[in-house]
Amino acid sequence: MPREDYRDSLDELERDVEAMADDVGDQLRHALDALERGDHDLAREVIDGDDRINQQYLDLESDCIDLIALQQPVASDLRFVAASFKILTDLERIGDLATNLARYALAGSPRIAPEVRVETIGEFASAQLGDAVDAYTRADPAACRDIADRDDELDAACQHASETVVRELIASETDRWDVEQLLDDVSRLLLTIRDLERVGDHAVNIAARTLYMSDGDPDLIY
Amino acid sequence: MSQTDTTETTANRTDDQGISTTAGETVETTRPEWTNYEAGGETKLAVDDLDVHYGDDHALKSVSMDIPEESVTALIGPSGCGKSTFLRCLNRMNDRIRAARVDGSVELDDEDIYQDGVDLVELRKRVGMVFQSPNPFPKSIRENVSYGPRKHGDIETGLLARLTGRAEPEREEDLVERSLERAALWEEVSDRLDDNALGLSGGQQQRLCIARCLAVDPEVILMDEPASALDPIATSKIEDLIEDLAQDYTVVVVTHSMQQAARVSDQTAVFLTGGELVEYDDTDKIFENPESQRVEDYISGKFG
Repeated sequence: MPREDYRDSLDELERDVEAMADDVGDQLRHALDALERGDHDLAREVIDGDDRINQQYLDLESDCIDLIALQQPVASDLRFVAASFKILTDLERIGDLATNLARYALAGSPRIAPEVRVETIGEFASAQLGDAVDAYTRADPAACRDIADRDDELDAACQHASETVVRELIASETDRWDVEQLLDDVSRLLLTIRDLERVGDHAVNIAARTLYMSDGDPDLIY
Repeated sequence: MSQTDTTETTANRTDDQGISTTAGETVETTRPEWTNYEAGGETKLAVDDLDVHYGDDHALKSVSMDIPEESVTALIGPSGCGKSTFLRCLNRMNDRIRAARVDGSVELDDEDIYQDGVDLVELRKRVGMVFQSPNPFPKSIRENVSYGPRKHGDIETGLLARLTGRAEPEREEDLVERSLERAALWEEVSDRLDDNALGLSGGQQQRLCIARCLAVDPEVILMDEPASALDPIATSKIEDLIEDLAQDYTVVVVTHSMQQAARVSDQTAVFLTGGELVEYDDTDKIFENPESQRVEDYISGKFG
C-alpha cells in the first residue's frame, strides 16, 4: 500500500482521539463520583487533570492541521480528519464540564431537592458519551442515530429535575434557611443539571460528526 | 450500482480523414448510474456512448457525459486511462491518428460534430485547445495572437477583406489587446508586442497560447495538463485564469494533479484504467464522498 506514512498518521490520529476520549470519560466519571460521595480529593484530581486534557486537545488539533496541510486527505480520509477535528473540540468541552462538576463537589452537597437524582442523570450522560466514542471507534451509523434519539430522554430528565428544584425553591420557607446558602445551593444544583445536559449535547455532536464520517451523511449535524 | 444493460447501435460514420466506419455493429454498454449525473447549467457538449479504439486497443469504453456551459469540467485519472483521448475527441483531434476509430456521438450545441460534412477548421475554432507544453509560434507576441484570426479572416487585412464584404472586422491591435488582457498577460507584455514569443517565460508562453486560443473567439476551451510544465506561481496564475475564463467559456481540463482539479473545477470526471468513466459528479462530491470505492481508492492514493 503506497503512502504508508500517511496511513500510519491517520491510524495514529484515531488512536490518539480514542485515548483522549477515554481520558475525558474518566474525568467525567470521577467528577460524578466526587459529587456523589463528596470526595474532595477526587474532585481536585479532576480539576488538576484538565490541563492534561487541554494539552491533548491542542496537540491533536495540530496533528489534524498537519494532515490537512501536508497530506491533503480526500474522500473518507478527509471526512475522518474533519470529523476528528470537530470531535476533539467536543471532548475538550466535556473535559471543561467535568471540571465544573468537580468544583460543585468541592462546594458541598446542596441541601435542597434531595429527590433530584443527579447521579442518575450523570450516569445517563456518561453512557451517552461512552456510546458516542464507541460509535466513532466502530464508525457505526446506526449507533449514532440511537444516541441522537436518546438525547431527548436526557433533555426531558434534566428539564424535570430543574423544574423540581425551582418548585422546591418557591415552596421553601426561606425563614428557616440562610438565604445566601439557599441561593448557592439552588444555582449550583441547576448548573449541575445544565452541565450534564450539555455533556449529552456534546455526545450527540460526536455522534453527528461520526455519522458524517462514516456515511458522508450530514443529517444529524444540522 | 450499474443500470440495466442496454443494447445500442453505434452510429454509422465515415469522414474525410480516414476514421473507419462501424456499420450497424451492436455493442453492450453497462453504465454506472452516476455517469448520468446532470450538472447544472445548459449542456454545451453532450457525449453519448463514446468508444475509441487505437487499432486493437480499446482506449475509451462507452463514455457518456454532459458537459455544462460556462463552467470548468476536470478530467482526472491515472496515465493511460483515456482522459486525454476523451479530450481530443471533443474537437476531433483524434482524426489525425489514422489507427483511431471513434464510435458514438459528441454533440456541440445539439449538433453531432462527427457527422458528415462538419468543417473541422470551423469546429476547432469553436472548440480550441491548449496543450501541456506551451507551444507558441517562433514569431512575435502580436503575430502569435493575430495568426488565427488572420487565417479565419476575422481581422482587418486590407482592401481585399473590405471588398469581400466582411462586416466591421476587428482591428488587429484591438484584438491583440483584448485577447492578451483576457489571458491576464497584457500588462506584462504590452510594451514588447513585437518581441519574439519564445523569449517569454514558460508561464507567460502558456498564457500567450491561451490568448491565441481566445483570439478566434471559441466557445469551448480544452486544456491538456496546461500547468504541468510550470512552477507553482505560474501554475496559480493559470488556475486563476481557468476560473475566470469559465465565466464566459466552457472549459474542459485534463490534469494529473488532483488538487488542481479540486481547486479549479466545478465538476470532475474520473477515468480509470481501461478507458472507463467511473464517476462524474460535482467536484466537492467527488473529493468528499465519492460513490465508487475505486474512485475513493484512486483519489486517496490507496491504489497499488
